[in-house]
Amino acid sequence: MPPSPTESNSDGRPDASPAPDRPAGEEKEEEPAPTGAGEAATATTLGAVREPQRLHPLTLLLRVGASLPALVIILLPLLRNPGSTENVTSLVLGVLYGVFALPAILLQYWRFSYRITPKQIVIQSGVLNRKNRSIPIERVQNIQIERNLVARLFGIAKVKLETAGSTSTEGSLEYVHQDEAQKIRQVVRSFQRGSQEAEAAASADAEDAADTETLLDMSLRRVLLSGAFRFSLLYLAVIFTVLELFNPEALVERVLRAQGRVGWVSEVIFSHPALAILTTVVAAVFLGWVSGIGVHVARYYDFRLWLDGDKLRKRHGLFTVTEGTVPLDKVQALILRTNPFMRAFGWYELKVQTVGLDVEEQGHRVIAPFAGAGRILELARQVRSVELPESFAHVSRLTIRRRFIRYTAVWAALLLPTVYFWPADWLHLGGVVLPWWGFGLVPFILGWAVLQYQNHGYAAGEDGFYIRRGVLSHYLWILPVEKFHVFHTTASIFQRRLGLKTLFVDTAGAATFAYPEVIDVPAAEADAQFGALYRRFRQLYRTRVEAATGAPDTRLAPDERPHLPVDEPPS
Amino acid sequence: MNAPAGADVADVAADGAIRSLNPSIRTIWTIKMAAFSVLLFLPALFYDLTHLFSSDAWLPFGALSGTVLVGGVLYCVAWPRLRYRAWGFALRPEELYMEHGVLQHVRTIVPLRRIQHVDVSQDLVEREFALGRLVVHTAGSRSSDVVIPGLPLSEAEAIRDKIKRFILEDPLTEEPV
Repeated sequence: MPPSPTESNSDGRPDASPAPDRPAGEEKEEEPAPTGAGEAATATTLGAVREPQRLHPLTLLLRVGASLPALVIILLPLLRNPGSTENVTSLVLGVLYGVFALPAILLQYWRFSYRITPKQIVIQSGVLNRKNRSIPIERVQNIQIERNLVARLFGIAKVKLETAGSTSTEGSLEYVHQDEAQKIRQVVRSFQRGSQEAEAAASADAEDAADTETLLDMSLRRVLLSGAFRFSLLYLAVIFTVLELFNPEALVERVLRAQGRVGWVSEVIFSHPALAILTTVVAAVFLGWVSGIGVHVARYYDFRLWLDGDKLRKRHGLFTVTEGTVPLDKVQALILRTNPFMRAFGWYELKVQTVGLDVEEQGHRVIAPFAGAGRILELARQVRSVELPESFAHVSRLTIRRRFIRYTAVWAALLLPTVYFWPADWLHLGGVVLPWWGFGLVPFILGWAVLQYQNHGYAAGEDGFYIRRGVLSHYLWILPVEKFHVFHTTASIFQRRLGLKTLFVDTAGAATFAYPEVIDVPAAEADAQFGALYRRFRQLYRTRVEAATGAPDTRLAPDERPHLPVDEPPS
Repeated sequence: MNAPAGADVADVAADGAIRSLNPSIRTIWTIKMAAFSVLLFLPALFYDLTHLFSSDAWLPFGALSGTVLVGGVLYCVAWPRLRYRAWGFALRPEELYMEHGVLQHVRTIVPLRRIQHVDVSQDLVEREFALGRLVVHTAGSRSSDVVIPGLPLSEAEAIRDKIKRFILEDPLTEEPV
């Protein structure tokens, strides 16, 4: 429920009109006493952002800075060869840039404003094409504050507003003063809570004084340790970037100059191909390991998760500090992830699935990057009631056969063309062309299928549906009954021959890959679960309706029903 | 609790109440598939004609276009019937149940409570037969729109209104996601 404007002033100030044209007087008293000053602070925060606000002036500087590379490229001929008559065009372009681009940045800044009323956040932008975007306060699901290295140097921050309905950031304030960013968050939150809880809001506004419950703190050692369990392929990107920046030919030339050693190395490689492959693998693993640590430290340095009312908040990052919110009741599913190494030492990662989809995290927000099993369960219970089932039901054993046949068929489809087109003068091993040896991997395919079968299971608990899946990346999905959306069973033509079905329960915002479906359940069992899960869902909502209305019958009497414009035609 | 969970097991997947689509949907599918087959047939025919007198033709004349033609006709004749036979749906007090699929059998329950909005749409061919299709949007990721084709337009609208009414009258005011 959005608070009505007149109620939102908790401290009894008489005026509360959200109208944009109210006198600016008291609202310009920008400086709230540093958070924690109780009522006075609340009073100013509640009113302060209601007047249209501009972004931080330093935004101008940053935007001009961001456009400078373009200017350099335009003026490059002139810089290389000053005084030549041929670079008139680049000079003209440079002047055009000065005439148009710089004023455009200035105008954009000038014409961008935002204000926060008790009901909505209004962002106006655009020079020629005016855009007036208003986001209802109660729909704001996450206010993310991002501060990259430059922003931290200048003490400014980027504020991203996310709503449940959209798949991307709904509004972005780039940049505001970092205190202002915190204030926006507090104001929105106090409006969301409404006036009846204003007292609580006022006290919670002082929360940065650390009176909230910290759920997880990660020391640098812990972050380093967690990185050590991860791999990242980021180094490949780095290598390619380096090759882009530095001319590859120059590199080769330099290598050739040190010819003696190169010759030795290449000789070794050619005489011992197995050794070369081994070295490459070891180097790749080592680089992946090191860059995994690097990526993890950059992302999760100083990770802190704390509970703030009905929201989880977290802050982390080495260069770019990100601060985000996850409303507890918007959590659609819990995902526990681990890999064989982490599992061997009892470490897990906890993510939650939300709808305000963050593209980088695929709708999944990491709640705990790295923690022991007990701690993870404790955290999960903060979000939802979780009762890990004692045992998981296996899917049918026939799944091994199906997977084995399918993977082998795919592998054969890849290998056979290479056998056919393998040039006669290429490597032949043991009298046959090399790709035939690829079929030596078939036993491993069988092993893989068995592992997949062993790691795949499901359990229907009282409060949710639990699905386990994955060999290298081991997932456990916890789907709460109240967040079930659509129920499916599917049976392909091959599955029907074996009497198998695939069962899945759709939830909002689920990723499109690595999906919690239960593959190859015996058909009768799948149908029973299908019905049972739906009945559990329906029962939950029937109970809720009964609690809300006091009557088991959810429907209104026919004469009390609201009448729709289109009436039911006679069938 | 007046409605014990076990009492209505039958209505989750009872076969009795499951309805088929309107039979003229078969004709519509045939028309659409025929159009698709013609699109495949024309290039095949073109290939055959252009290679009619070429010496290095590795296919006898008409083999390609003939295969496409026969396959297309079989597809247009058989597939709509199979698909029609596989389709069934039922609008129940609290859910929409449907099953469909020739190669891949799919059974779906969409709780009415989870429906975000409902459309009735009609394309050019369907308009000739006064059929419409019901498109149900949910917040689920994989099944964000569920389609029931081949309903008489009036019936599709009636179902849409029933669903609308259910959502309007829902005493729970919580947001759907």
